[in-house]
Amino acid sequence: MENFSEVMALFLSVDNFLAIAVGVIVGVVVGAIPGLTATMAVALALPFTFSMEPVTAILLLVGIYKGGMYGGSITAILIRTPGSPASACTLLDGYPMAQQGKAKKALKTALYSSVVADMISNVALIFFASYLAKIALNFGPPEYFWLICFSLTIIVSVSGDSVIKGLIGASLGIIVSTVGLDAVYGTQRLTFDDYNLMDRVSFIPLLIGLFAIPEVIEFYTSKVAPHIRTAVSGASLTWKEFKGLLKTIVRGSLIGVIIGAIPGTGATSAAFISYSEAKRTSPRKANFGKGEIEGVAAAESGNNGVAGATLIPLLSLGIPGDVITAIILGAFMIHGLTPGPVLFQENLTLVYALFCGIMVSSFVLVFVGNAAIRYFSIIADIPKTILLPIVLMFCIYGAYAVNNSTFDIGLMLVFGIMGFIFNRTGIAAAPFLIGFILGPMFEDNLRRTILISKGDLSIFVRGPITWVFILLTVASLLFAIRRYWMSRKEAMA
Amino acid sequence: METSEKQFVEASEAHYGRWNPNSVLGGVFSILAVSFLFYVIPRYIEMPFSMQHPLLSPQFLPQLAGWLVFVLSALLMVDGLINPPKRGEPEELRRGVPVMRQVLMLAAGIVYAFFFEQLGAIGSGIFACVLLFLASGLRSIWLYALTIIFPVVVTLLFIYLLNVPLPVGTLWESFFQI
Repeated sequence: MENFSEVMALFLSVDNFLAIAVGVIVGVVVGAIPGLTATMAVALALPFTFSMEPVTAILLLVGIYKGGMYGGSITAILIRTPGSPASACTLLDGYPMAQQGKAKKALKTALYSSVVADMISNVALIFFASYLAKIALNFGPPEYFWLICFSLTIIVSVSGDSVIKGLIGASLGIIVSTVGLDAVYGTQRLTFDDYNLMDRVSFIPLLIGLFAIPEVIEFYTSKVAPHIRTAVSGASLTWKEFKGLLKTIVRGSLIGVIIGAIPGTGATSAAFISYSEAKRTSPRKANFGKGEIEGVAAAESGNNGVAGATLIPLLSLGIPGDVITAIILGAFMIHGLTPGPVLFQENLTLVYALFCGIMVSSFVLVFVGNAAIRYFSIIADIPKTILLPIVLMFCIYGAYAVNNSTFDIGLMLVFGIMGFIFNRTGIAAAPFLIGFILGPMFEDNLRRTILISKGDLSIFVRGPITWVFILLTVASLLFAIRRYWMSRKEAMA
Repeated sequence: METSEKQFVEASEAHYGRWNPNSVLGGVFSILAVSFLFYVIPRYIEMPFSMQHPLLSPQFLPQLAGWLVFVLSALLMVDGLINPPKRGEPEELRRGVPVMRQVLMLAAGIVYAFFFEQLGAIGSGIFACVLLFLASGLRSIWLYALTIIFPVVVTLLFIYLLNVPLPVGTLWESFFQI
């Protein structure tokens, strides 16, 4: 009871509710603008959280994440441009529906499927995160070392078209993560005698540089694409129709939860698996791909079911499930918190306050989503010619705000150019970020293990938990090799 | 033209030759990896006087990552030489972009990178926004009012709402002192 009142005291503040509302609105708006991504929005919002309380800061970012997941489907349905890869599946039936004059129905289906899936995902988070954290309390450095090795294999799934390029990106991220003073010996590593680099490469300039600046450079180095105007028309979703879709939505949500809880599998695969499962079991399977309302519900529930579940490995083990949770992990660290089992021991009140906020964010999404449907044309019709100079301004101010230093602006621009080169050469930026975040964790746990065993390497296979992670790592690597051969075969065909 | 010949011509148009982005990228990264492993690491990573185990070395992780980059780049190069990738559609969008558009974007980047403290947050914001609006070919004079409104509003937002101090501009400070 005492804990409950502490949680409520921490959660029930105007700032938290405001952060959730602003986060969801920003997420939906950014997600609804083609070319801007939720990842970019979360990265840009990070500097704004410096002066906030940790709970408020994390809730703002989670709000953007959730809003962005839904916002991406708006453009997928209306203009056949998915705001995020996860919304690609939604356009299969959403866009044909819009063409048939049922845009409003498709958007409402997407919204309510997203909200239901989000809630189911949140409940799963609340139940499983603490349970998993309890198990993780038995982990020592060798177990964590293998867990991080396993997590590093998620790079394969975020590598985009080329696994090799993704792995190169991750290795480069690891190299950049080693810049600074060595944690054990205090010697300089790759600092080039510049004192600005002694305290590692700042996370925020790197993040903004990788995910926001390339969009700006890409826009000014490409021809101006014609601006597409949109319209939301047709009848809305009826209660009877919604009831008929509930089974599909619940199934899609559960698929999303299971997939989201596994690091690296991602919302895109959840959406497609949910969609194919709905198609397989539907009596109207022939209508899928031609504007079937069940297709929209399946895709959206699948991809939104992932949102809460990706926070399970993040909160309980400290392992990011995807790029956005990797950024949220950075936010935790900026606020002096380390996600993982210790967080549940030392900051249980904070964790439960976060859970409360995450639940509230689902309800906020209903209101914001409905407003977005009504005022969508205003949101989406802001031309990029006006929007991107403002985005660049936010990037610059955000990077400067970290240390009040122009060095960070330069650093951000360097990573921006790097991200742009990555885009042009087909190297995904996500593996670079995962490498940058997991690299120091890998090294830290490797060194701790060696120090506690006094150099005896048999400690790395000391018990069943280490073996479980070794097997998972090997299985994941085999899957990666298989994926590489399949993609090669496809390229050759 | 024979069908098979036609297919061959179409296929060669759709694919790159031996010197394609993958083989070039693989080659460039291989060279960079070698220079990183044999020049940068020994020169810019200080070694402690004594170490308990080679795996504790400050050079271990950078070396591991460097070798990974080298091996993967070599693989990418070989893969690019054997299986040239297909040409992508976005390349069409990247052709014939006015040079002035790119120069103005670069100029905006330079303003922010080198003159942020001198011009201040508002000054550099206005200057860069004007350059970027010009780069997009915006003609309406009213739209240019936004180049003043946005930097002022965003700067005030940072300073007063988020308590993030942004530079006023050393140039203006000295100007007003005079």
